[in-house]
Amino acid sequence: MKLDVNALGTFYRMAREGAGLAAGRLTHMTGVETQVGVTKLNFMRGREIERDFEDSREKIGVRVNLTGAIEGYSMIVFDRENALRTVETLRSESNEPIDVAGGEFDEMTESAVTEVGHIMNSGFIDGWADVLETVIDVSTPEFVQGETAEPFFGDVDSAPETDDLALLFQSRIETVGAEVGFNHYLFPKRESMASLLDRLRTSGGIEYDKLDGFDRMAERGAEEVAKTATTLTGIDTSVEIRRLNFVSLEAIPEQVADEKLVGVAFEFDGMPSGYLLFLFDEDSAHEIVDAMVPMEVDEDGFGEMGTSAIKELGNIMASGFLDGWANVLDTTIDHSTPEFIHDMGAAAVDPVIIQLGENQEFAFVFDTVVVADGREFDCEIYAIPDESDLERALNDLDVDRIEETPTTAEFQEVNNT
Amino acid sequence: MKTYGSEPGAPSPVQVGISELVVSDGDDTLKSYGLGSCLAIALYDPDSDIGGLAHIMLPDGDAVDNSDRKPGKYADTAIRALLRRMVEQGASYTTVEAKIAGGSDMFEFESFGDGVGQRNIAAAKDELEKLGVPLIAEDVGGSHGRTVEFTPGTGTLVVKTADESADHGVKEL
Repeated sequence: MKLDVNALGTFYRMAREGAGLAAGRLTHMTGVETQVGVTKLNFMRGREIERDFEDSREKIGVRVNLTGAIEGYSMIVFDRENALRTVETLRSESNEPIDVAGGEFDEMTESAVTEVGHIMNSGFIDGWADVLETVIDVSTPEFVQGETAEPFFGDVDSAPETDDLALLFQSRIETVGAEVGFNHYLFPKRESMASLLDRLRTSGGIEYDKLDGFDRMAERGAEEVAKTATTLTGIDTSVEIRRLNFVSLEAIPEQVADEKLVGVAFEFDGMPSGYLLFLFDEDSAHEIVDAMVPMEVDEDGFGEMGTSAIKELGNIMASGFLDGWANVLDTTIDHSTPEFIHDMGAAAVDPVIIQLGENQEFAFVFDTVVVADGREFDCEIYAIPDESDLERALNDLDVDRIEETPTTAEFQEVNNT
Repeated sequence: MKTYGSEPGAPSPVQVGISELVVSDGDDTLKSYGLGSCLAIALYDPDSDIGGLAHIMLPDGDAVDNSDRKPGKYADTAIRALLRRMVEQGASYTTVEAKIAGGSDMFEFESFGDGVGQRNIAAAKDELEKLGVPLIAEDVGGSHGRTVEFTPGTGTLVVKTADESADHGVKEL
């Protein structure tokens, strides 16, 4: 299976189009204004998806099986509360009496949720069919509920195994003001995806296994970053989220928290070249300064001492991250001196996408979140390589090297219990 | 992740994301979050109260083949698209005025050359001059982020920065 930017770009447009149609139908049904949140193509491993689901909140899913141009499963997932609220909104529109006080899903509520979910699923699927100018058949909807990933896709054969890297479509739709939102997932079957990619590809493309291999390396790089952070700050950290996204450049700043953040940015140069950003919320940044600067610092905000401590941490984390890439690609990747920023999160990211935007519309983003148990340490890492560099680097990648390549340090599971 | 909540009672502002442009003739507030090197371009016609906001990321759409698909992405094509849509809604071309904010240079990377923010500011000013639209206010450049809120009905462009010192980082253009 091979992919290229053109094919993935078409997938991305499909996802946007589908999300738009689904949002429109939700508005039509409920009379509430809706907006499409983030739309992403994720390359995720089974265990990452499981982790995504395990937030100990009860969830409701409506799942359909697809055949035809796309084969696999399409699923709408609500937080239980959100599902109830949506049904409530619906019933108040139609003036039907409503009693969800007990929170029990009676037959009527279940069927109402299933109906809403099905209409949403159909919206997405119609959107994809429009973009692909083809027909996709949809099974009858199935109601699923639970707290873990198991009931949702444990029995879905197209969902990835723990270690498998799967292409997953994710979108979020939210009502304006009413705080009802849901996620949409598409798990396409590998063969179906492969034939679609073949059809949409306009260049030689990247061998999927190479992307998989590179992502495995990036995973080790992320672990290395967490370890470095632990060593330098004494705060026990671990990698919480790690995924490879394919998104339009414009979508990248939009996923950054809408608040003042502290960050360290780098440009890196080599094969590939690109940009690397570490972003901390203010509390985490203060915690890091406290941990790294031995004496009591009496500075407003982040003064000279604080700034240099955070830059130093960023610098060492950047080396750990990029060395991993360079080792497996058998090349050198140089990075610039760190640039410190303490400003609105999105404002730190937009210069990078502007620079890349001169030559590309989409980007592969290596998204990582490092957290600490019990203490403030939330760090979001964005690594955004230049697209054509990445494609070339991957084509030169020898997949067999990945397991053999020594990393700069010994890797072990970070245990933070 | 971005949230879409609103304060009770206040009409929720219409978000203008990167590469988007929105034209309105009411009391709607148009809002762009977290501009770094991106530039917010607000045009309005004080006679008809019709106005619009664009959140552009690149200077030159004319140099790109498919800029017609996303006119809001580029300074030049966004200004023309805003003007056209405003005139279609009843604005008078000759009375339209412009305000701009953003275009910071957040980082000094070698690959950034003269600065990505500066390029956007220059392109917007060029295009406005070419079209004879007077630029009556600006808050551009520097190395800090901005969030802008534009109300076409009054022509007010509120610029907020993360700077907590003077004026609580709020400026009204």
